[in-house]
Amino acid sequence: MGAILEVKGLTKRFSGLVAVNNVSFRVGEGEILGLIGPNGAGKTTIVSLISGTLRPTSGVLRFAGREIQTLPAFRRAQLSIGRTFQVMKPFPGLSVVDNVAVGALFGSGGGHSDLSGAREAARHWLDFVGLAHRADQHADSLGGPDRKRLELAKALAMKPKLLLLDEVMAGLNLVEIDEVIEVVKKVRAEGISILVIEHVMKAIQRLSDRLMVLHHGEKIAEGHPDEVLNDIHVIEAYLGRRRV
Amino acid sequence: MDLIWQIFLNGIFLGGLYALMALGLALVWGVLNIVNLAHGAFIMLGAYACYYLYTGGHIDPFLALPLAMLIIFALGYLIQRFVLNLIVRSAMFTTLLITFGIDVVLTYMAQIIFTADFKTINPPYAGSNFQLFGATVPYVQMFTFVVALAVTVGLSVFLRRARLGRAIRATAQNLTAARLYGVNPRTLYAITFALGAALAGGAGGLYGMVSQINPYIGAPLTAKSFAIAIIGGLDNPLGVIVGGLFLGLVESFTALYIGPTYTSVASFGILVLVLIIRPTGILGRTA
Amino acid sequence: MRKALPWILPPLVVVILAALPWFASPTIIQFGISTLILATLSQSWNIIGGYTGYASFGNSVFYGLGIYGTAVAMVQFGLPFWVGMLVGGLLSVVFAVLLGLPVLRLRGHYFAIATLALAQVMSAIVSNVQVAGGNQGLVLPLFRGDKMFYELALGLLVLATLTVFWLSRSRFGFGLISIREDEDAAAVMGVNTTYYKVIAFALSGVFTALAGGIHAYWITFVEPESAFDITLNVKMIIMAVFGGPGSVFGPIVGAFVLQSVSEILATKISSLAGLFFGLVIVVAVVFMPKGLIDLRKRIGRLGWRYFTRNVKENRL
Repeated sequence: MGAILEVKGLTKRFSGLVAVNNVSFRVGEGEILGLIGPNGAGKTTIVSLISGTLRPTSGVLRFAGREIQTLPAFRRAQLSIGRTFQVMKPFPGLSVVDNVAVGALFGSGGGHSDLSGAREAARHWLDFVGLAHRADQHADSLGGPDRKRLELAKALAMKPKLLLLDEVMAGLNLVEIDEVIEVVKKVRAEGISILVIEHVMKAIQRLSDRLMVLHHGEKIAEGHPDEVLNDIHVIEAYLGRRRV
Repeated sequence: MDLIWQIFLNGIFLGGLYALMALGLALVWGVLNIVNLAHGAFIMLGAYACYYLYTGGHIDPFLALPLAMLIIFALGYLIQRFVLNLIVRSAMFTTLLITFGIDVVLTYMAQIIFTADFKTINPPYAGSNFQLFGATVPYVQMFTFVVALAVTVGLSVFLRRARLGRAIRATAQNLTAARLYGVNPRTLYAITFALGAALAGGAGGLYGMVSQINPYIGAPLTAKSFAIAIIGGLDNPLGVIVGGLFLGLVESFTALYIGPTYTSVASFGILVLVLIIRPTGILGRTA
Repeated sequence: MRKALPWILPPLVVVILAALPWFASPTIIQFGISTLILATLSQSWNIIGGYTGYASFGNSVFYGLGIYGTAVAMVQFGLPFWVGMLVGGLLSVVFAVLLGLPVLRLRGHYFAIATLALAQVMSAIVSNVQVAGGNQGLVLPLFRGDKMFYELALGLLVLATLTVFWLSRSRFGFGLISIREDEDAAAVMGVNTTYYKVIAFALSGVFTALAGGIHAYWITFVEPESAFDITLNVKMIIMAVFGGPGSVFGPIVGAFVLQSVSEILATKISSLAGLFFGLVIVVAVVFMPKGLIDLRKRIGRLGWRYFTRNVKENRL
């Protein structure tokens, strides 16, 4: 299996503080890689480094065989890396469908050039995530779970090859989590590789092909979800029952 | 050499006054996230308050200063409590607009009440001066400098030590933090804004002793206060002192070596540069 | 019929406005010229402020460059008026790109203050430049033709409005709006934010500069203080915000309403006109922060509650 994303020696320092320290991993073509770790472990920082919201202090990011660590965020988006934000960032003044249309207009390879085509694509993705019925409402009128769906639809409309999901299930109830898991599985069925950060252990165990554990900005475990989660109990005991 | 020393001293004295001018603006901006375009109007009103307390009430202008500050404090409190509190959560430029509107209203009222004539606060000791290592120092300038510095340091201590001061600083981080100190946020906002206004008013009183005043002095002083607040950073009164002294020196030396008409090129040019290179100010914390 | 109205009404208004100078008194025409110029300025600001969300206080620099570009070209080099306008427009684009690149990296208040400072710097520089007449300013050749100035100003406003109309329904405009709504999110969705912002700044600048050029030739006298006047910049913002920022017609409506109000005030109670203008701003910002367009859209359904709701939404 070829790798869509290869990360080598990724490091990020914030004025003295090391948020991510020499982390290397790869996301295979069509794979779902889960990323877990306690708060402040550097998970969101890694997503921001891959998406270009942050620039790495050092390290190499290779996406589809091409080095991208120096490219600005919008170029990486055009190369078809999509992401969601943990703190959701809908465009509050736009309607739901127009929020998603922005992804279709820009996104991978520059996206659609005409508004009506983009809106059509947007409706398709809203349907895909189960939000079609709210397409014409204002984005800031959506509740928590629907905002998560919107966030997902916006990223999908970019037609990404790699999707970075930052806690899309946080704050959802069990039924809603099941729904999102189904959506994510559908996304993978479209051939999209996924890096997913999650706190909900059950969900990430069911979803991921492989799992990676981050602690204090360093990778401390990687492998099959069941094995890693078993290991985690050992690590937890070692670290003094820190919530991982 | 003597000339440079004299210019240096002039710059320092001017800078002390500048620091006090900008202090209130930085406080209100840093804590309430309100960019107050009416700041200069408070400076102007403080100057008039001092002027009338001196000419009408025969109170020495330096003694009138606290009274003038109290008057402007009350005005600032009312404006924040009953006008600005109504819009603090709206879009960014609405606060710019409304404070501009307030500036217009205050300026026109001043023009109607005080007329557009130039006035000066002129105490009997205005002309006297002393020599300091070959430079001439007017007493008024030196007092002004000392008062400005004392108030700035006083504010710094107040924000760090006093309970209310800490509540104000906590509010800068988090709106609801004020409740932890048992203060109603609405009142706290009003007090903070009033404090900023009072500091401007105090600066105005001092300004009136070293320069002429009319109802229109506000706007350029607002702009200058911005420059100082940004150069010094918003989170530390002592940074504002540095910003004020820096700008005072830059203006004095620019006036001498390049020409008096270039002082605003220098000061605002530096402001733009600081913003581009280091938006949190020379001494401010990094983002 | 209701559906066709938005497509018929604007052209109709333009035709009526274009015909106006042949019926109206000279005073009305003069009022028309200054109002059309202000509406153009407000519409131009709408591109960078209303659509892109960058509260520019530096548009008065564009205005000043337009004024001085035209004046210097005509007075010092004896060039025709349209060449002068071209020079002004070109200067504003150069300024927008050279200074926009670093300054547009600043967000929120910091951008506002930086542009405000730039306006001060430019004003001070121009008053020290000999070719620009220094502090004394320049006197342009007199041209008696208010009708021409009127039609020119109207044409420019139409052009600026068509541009904004295009923005409101194009990929480019969506890019700007997404920057306004959330710049980080826009960037990770593939919007080249720097490029979009600079183009928006330049577009805003060109129309502002051209308006400045018309104004300079019309009043035939330019000097640094009024050319780079910050209060004019604030006026642009107020008119746009009063009408409805980020809408196609808001800034025009805002300009016409506020100009009429201040004109009426100036004739009825001249000494209190300024004071009243300030009060109007304060009251408008408190009760209708989203502008007249939003008011018209929602007051039918909400009535008086529209105002109380605004206050409730925004107060502490």
